Amino acid sequence: MIHLVDIVLSLVLLSILLSFGSSRLPVLIRVIGFQGVVVSSVPLFMGHDLSAFGIAFSLATLSIRGIIIPLSIYLAIKKVAIRQEVEPIYGHHASMLAWLGLIVAAAFISGKFNLPAINNHPLLMPTAIALLAGGMFLLMGHRNAIAMVLGYIMMENGIYLVGTTFSTSTRHIVEFGILLDVLAGVMIMAVILQNIKQQFDDVDTSLLRTLKE
Amino acid sequence: MVEIVFLIPFLTGIVAFFLPRTSGRVLLVLTGAAHLVLSLILWTGWPEPVFPAYFAVTPEGLLSLIVISLLFFLISIYTTAYLKKSDIRSENIFTGSMLLFLSTMTMVTLSDHIMVMWIAIEATTLASAPLIFTHRSAASLEATWKYVLVCSVGIALALLGSVLITLAMDIGGVDVPVSFSALTTAARQLDPLWLKAGFVFILVGYGTKMGLAPMHTWLPDAHGEAPSPASALLSGVLLNCAYLGIFKTHKIMVAAGLESFSGTILMVFGLMSILAAATFILKQTEYKRLLAYSSIENMGIIAFGTGIGGLGAYGAMLCLIHHSLIKSSLFLTSGNILLGFGSRLIEDTGSLVRRMPRTFVAFFCGFVGISGLPPFGIFIGEMLIIMGAFRNGHYVGAAIFILSLCVIFAGFANHALKISFEGYRTTVQMEESASMVWPQYVLLLTSLLLCFWIPDIFSRTITQAVTAGGGVF
Repeated sequence: MIHLVDIVLSLVLLSILLSFGSSRLPVLIRVIGFQGVVVSSVPLFMGHDLSAFGIAFSLATLSIRGIIIPLSIYLAIKKVAIRQEVEPIYGHHASMLAWLGLIVAAAFISGKFNLPAINNHPLLMPTAIALLAGGMFLLMGHRNAIAMVLGYIMMENGIYLVGTTFSTSTRHIVEFGILLDVLAGVMIMAVILQNIKQQFDDVDTSLLRTLKE
Repeated sequence: MVEIVFLIPFLTGIVAFFLPRTSGRVLLVLTGAAHLVLSLILWTGWPEPVFPAYFAVTPEGLLSLIVISLLFFLISIYTTAYLKKSDIRSENIFTGSMLLFLSTMTMVTLSDHIMVMWIAIEATTLASAPLIFTHRSAASLEATWKYVLVCSVGIALALLGSVLITLAMDIGGVDVPVSFSALTTAARQLDPLWLKAGFVFILVGYGTKMGLAPMHTWLPDAHGEAPSPASALLSGVLLNCAYLGIFKTHKIMVAAGLESFSGTILMVFGLMSILAAATFILKQTEYKRLLAYSSIENMGIIAFGTGIGGLGAYGAMLCLIHHSLIKSSLFLTSGNILLGFGSRLIEDTGSLVRRMPRTFVAFFCGFVGISGLPPFGIFIGEMLIIMGAFRNGHYVGAAIFILSLCVIFAGFANHALKISFEGYRTTVQMEESASMVWPQYVLLLTSLLLCFWIPDIFSRTITQAVTAGGGVF
């Protein structure tokens, strides 16, 4: 079981790399969807809570994170036919290098923590940190509004990984409430994206500059 | 049945989405009245929560709840008059979102579980986003985008902070419910390192929502672009809700004996916010943004006072209540000015004293109150914070505090006098309807009244809340 978790977690790390390297929005959305599926299946592989109730919740999480959220964004951009290439502000090569640095830094930092709860899973902490930092990176490194939303989702994935695996004291119902909030947030962002597109004919956030001080 | 207080506006909010124009307005006022009655019943202390694991009636929650309730009721009356005069296209979305917003904010004041608190605060963001987008202009779109993205990302950090606090429980071997009240009782056993980390993330996260600098960037835009009744709600009570999340975590820190750590961080963020507000207020060109920066200033004052502890914490609680009353009245008044002059720029206004005499009274009293002049309550609050700062030996902090308050007063007074008296000779009067003036009068009079006479139960509740947050006398 232990090795299985680490394999799943390395898939998550791979998805971060892909998200940094992809230059087309539909690919980026698919990568984030894949990441959602993998991240929400981690608790299943860890075998924390394998009651029928727990499995049902994990499956619901999986379908929301892996399917509904990416799909809603995909539909939002499809409807308005947004220019599909995205370029990070600092280019792809720098992004890849940043990914490498991120993994090293995450592994280094998590080595310092020495948490008894997760000592069986050496990849868990680095992955969570990499997801959080990677999400931030995606969020700040793009002027494209959709890529920013995807960065936010990646950050949320990281927090979910921290929450479900480190501590078992939160309840499913609460977790589900959090997920519903995130879902509603992404839906609202998708609506705003459509409106930005209609208003400015693009989703480049550097066009949003009337309110700058 | 404590939960009914937020369930009623939730249900009426959903109903309001499907109602034709005018009936939504009636529903708004009726729900506001029902909410006020229910909040008053909560003060008697007999209703018990149905889900005690998630919800609880706390002193600070009661204080915020009664402020929310009173404000919403008065704002709902103002809104009915405002909606008649302004051209808001989909009014049912506006009223529905107002009610859902009320519901989520009430949930914040009553939630005791750390994660439920997070869910409620994030829900306030989602419920209020359509309010900011009401005018559907490019600028309001930008403000909404900034608001949703900045706040969601900020609040995601607060979620991480909440998770870290549960981690502090696991490592400390504490087996209690993940609620603020249980954690405050068991605070000494929590792992201090992870508790500190959790506090920092929660402060940055909820601080974004509260408008503490440098995470305040969304605030002036959102307050400036939203219709005035919505700005009044955003500034008067939403910021308090976010503060509540920080305050409750600070309570855990105090109980764990870490108040010097959390206090120092609160003071630093508080002073940064006051300084940021001072820089932007001086050169402001729009009066609604001016009020928004003044909100950032006041949130800074409250964070600073809470961080000082002792008398300062008491002063912060007073500032919290009076800021809500006075600032929401000012935002409502700004709605009158906008309807009268048709422009948000300060330079397009002038001679309010002649053109709209009744609005002028509300505006000028609000200006006096928000600047911290007697006889309004913010004066007492700021005085106590300064005294507390000196008593606890924070001389440098107090000096920066006083200096920036002076700068802010000068800047605000410059703009306020321009709006009130410039071009004094005009005699053209503008139309003012009574129901768009007296809600402000009631709010200002409440603030005035609370300076001279505080009901016994009210002052006891304030003392209870402040004592748990590290305030002593």
